[in-house]
Amino acid sequence: MRRPRIRSLAGGAAGIVVGVIGGIALTSISAAGWPKPAVSGLDAVHVPPLLTRPGGPVTLRFAIVCAPRDDGEPCDGSGSIYVRAGQSGPFRQLELSRGEDSSDGRYFVELPSELASARDGFSYYAVLRDRTSGATMTLPAGGEAAPQRSFPLRDVTEVALGVHVFGHERAPDERVVAAPWGSDVGEVGLAGSRELGFGGPSSFDVASDGTVAVLDQVNTRIQRWSRAGVKATSVDVSGGLADFALETDGTMDVLEPPNRTSPAPVLRSFRGDGTQRWAQRLSDRTWAKLAAGPSGPTVQQQPSEQWLPVAERGAALGRAAQAGRGRPGRQFANGREVLVERVGPGELRLAELAGNAVVRSWRITSATPLGEVQLAELHGNRLVVVTKTYTDTDDRTDYLVLVLDRSGIPAGFAVESLEWAESAPLARFRLAGSSLYRLGSTPVGLFVDRFELEVSR
Amino acid sequence: MKAFLIAFGVAIVLAGATGAQAYHRFWANCNYDAPTFMTTMTRDAAQSYANAARYEGYQWGGGCWNYDDADSYPYDVPGDPSAHGEGGDCSGLTFKTWRESTDDWRDGRYYWRALRNVHGPYTAGDFKNGLGAPNHIVAKSTAGVMDAFASSTHIGMIFTRSLYGGDQIVEAKCEACGTNIFYRTYRSDPSYGGVARWGWTG
Repeated sequence: MRRPRIRSLAGGAAGIVVGVIGGIALTSISAAGWPKPAVSGLDAVHVPPLLTRPGGPVTLRFAIVCAPRDDGEPCDGSGSIYVRAGQSGPFRQLELSRGEDSSDGRYFVELPSELASARDGFSYYAVLRDRTSGATMTLPAGGEAAPQRSFPLRDVTEVALGVHVFGHERAPDERVVAAPWGSDVGEVGLAGSRELGFGGPSSFDVASDGTVAVLDQVNTRIQRWSRAGVKATSVDVSGGLADFALETDGTMDVLEPPNRTSPAPVLRSFRGDGTQRWAQRLSDRTWAKLAAGPSGPTVQQQPSEQWLPVAERGAALGRAAQAGRGRPGRQFANGREVLVERVGPGELRLAELAGNAVVRSWRITSATPLGEVQLAELHGNRLVVVTKTYTDTDDRTDYLVLVLDRSGIPAGFAVESLEWAESAPLARFRLAGSSLYRLGSTPVGLFVDRFELEVSR
Repeated sequence: MKAFLIAFGVAIVLAGATGAQAYHRFWANCNYDAPTFMTTMTRDAAQSYANAARYEGYQWGGGCWNYDDADSYPYDVPGDPSAHGEGGDCSGLTFKTWRESTDDWRDGRYYWRALRNVHGPYTAGDFKNGLGAPNHIVAKSTAGVMDAFASSTHIGMIFTRSLYGGDQIVEAKCEACGTNIFYRTYRSDPSYGGVARWGWTG
């Protein structure tokens, strides 16, 4: 082989240097073409005082959330409240004050006593502004067509639970589904890892004939367990922790969370054979719970904190139409609504509403902290409530099943919390007829248990 | 001249290939600027900061994003920090939102802008255990706005409480989930504990 000459070596070295510089320069030009940041929109936080104690003061508080300021300080916001005594009539405008503390919302108004103590409660909506960008938003989005509605707890049934004693959970009457992790029919999918946590089937529902339908989103299907066996139906879902509801005509509704490519939540309506009928974006940014309402699927959403119907008689409602139909409670087939408000560490307020009038109400207090309300549904002349209780000190949890009437709790029991894999947040229990069903999981697989509510124990 | 041209061609192809790879890694757009030392830190400013990270994706071990409301690399391999995609992970988002120092003995307030690529020294499990001078454990039943719930594998901040007793949680949960606000029941979940930042000023 011929030895390279000095000139060749020098030329090659110069070529490498110039080439590398050129490559870096081209890369820099490419990177400089990155999209410029957009300004994030205005958002807000407000927890409405749904059920108030008569005679007490009422302060409405709002957090205004805007694009982060370069100086790191909070938004320069302002806002107005449009409020009225009772549930109809003209609204009166009140300006929000800006406080020093933002723990419960920096912007607030103390309602005048004639509004706070009005016999039929009060209703209101807010128009909030970011003075820096000029952006405004109405909360709830339905404005005067669907305002926040607040009701006084008069003639309330008081229930004191005291200190919960763990270790006395009721055993189920029947295990109706036991499915190992896997992908075959009769098995259910498990996603995640030990490092990141596991997610299993995220929701389920029970038909009037007792058929249990499980959203097996990891395997993109719905599986139905009946006395005839197991049947799997493929559905086109993203695989996120979705909620699920069966309608009486066999329609299957899947409420998907936001994900990496679809930043807004979407409700998908599927026919019984798994073909998609429609998909509709929700009015609000966040959802808590999906339920089959009297006219179609309805969703408890945030920031409105209202139940918004997403379809009526099989047809999807646009976002404005959803917002314009917002209600404070979940509506049932008899036209009544159930209102739920968890207050502080251990208080739960509940009311049954007919139109805009409270028919019955309960105030439940517990010395052991209460968590979320998984279920609050009318069952005949009673209200079935499932809430979670937990300890801060030794990580113990139970579900409390409370069957309420005007006298208090004629029946109640505790159910063990068995949740090895994550599910949708308020999808652990379903009521069908006189049976309460519970979705649970262990390292072995998923199960659905049934508890009979009409049995005296 | 022939040697120069051959070497130039090879070099520019190699440099271009490296450059192309850098272009396809979001971290090429991030910076390592010093944080701004702050005397204030309010919960609603923290809400705005975390809220603006919504839609910007998730990157395991990451802490850098822009504000274009899209995850630039939504299909990175989960759990691979070398993917260098957009977004924070759960503890990175919390660290930046809580204006913490990379030195775990400092409890001052350090404002990290979105494109500053920093994850911080804490895992979710560290937060759960209240490690680091700025952090402490709180009772879950009294945890409030922009406090957090942490398990050994995840942490999410409380955007606000909700009527049904769960919480709206702002979190970077997983590659497929992205960063967003989700309704969660961590408060009553025994695998989660309450954790908070010292030093809120309003």
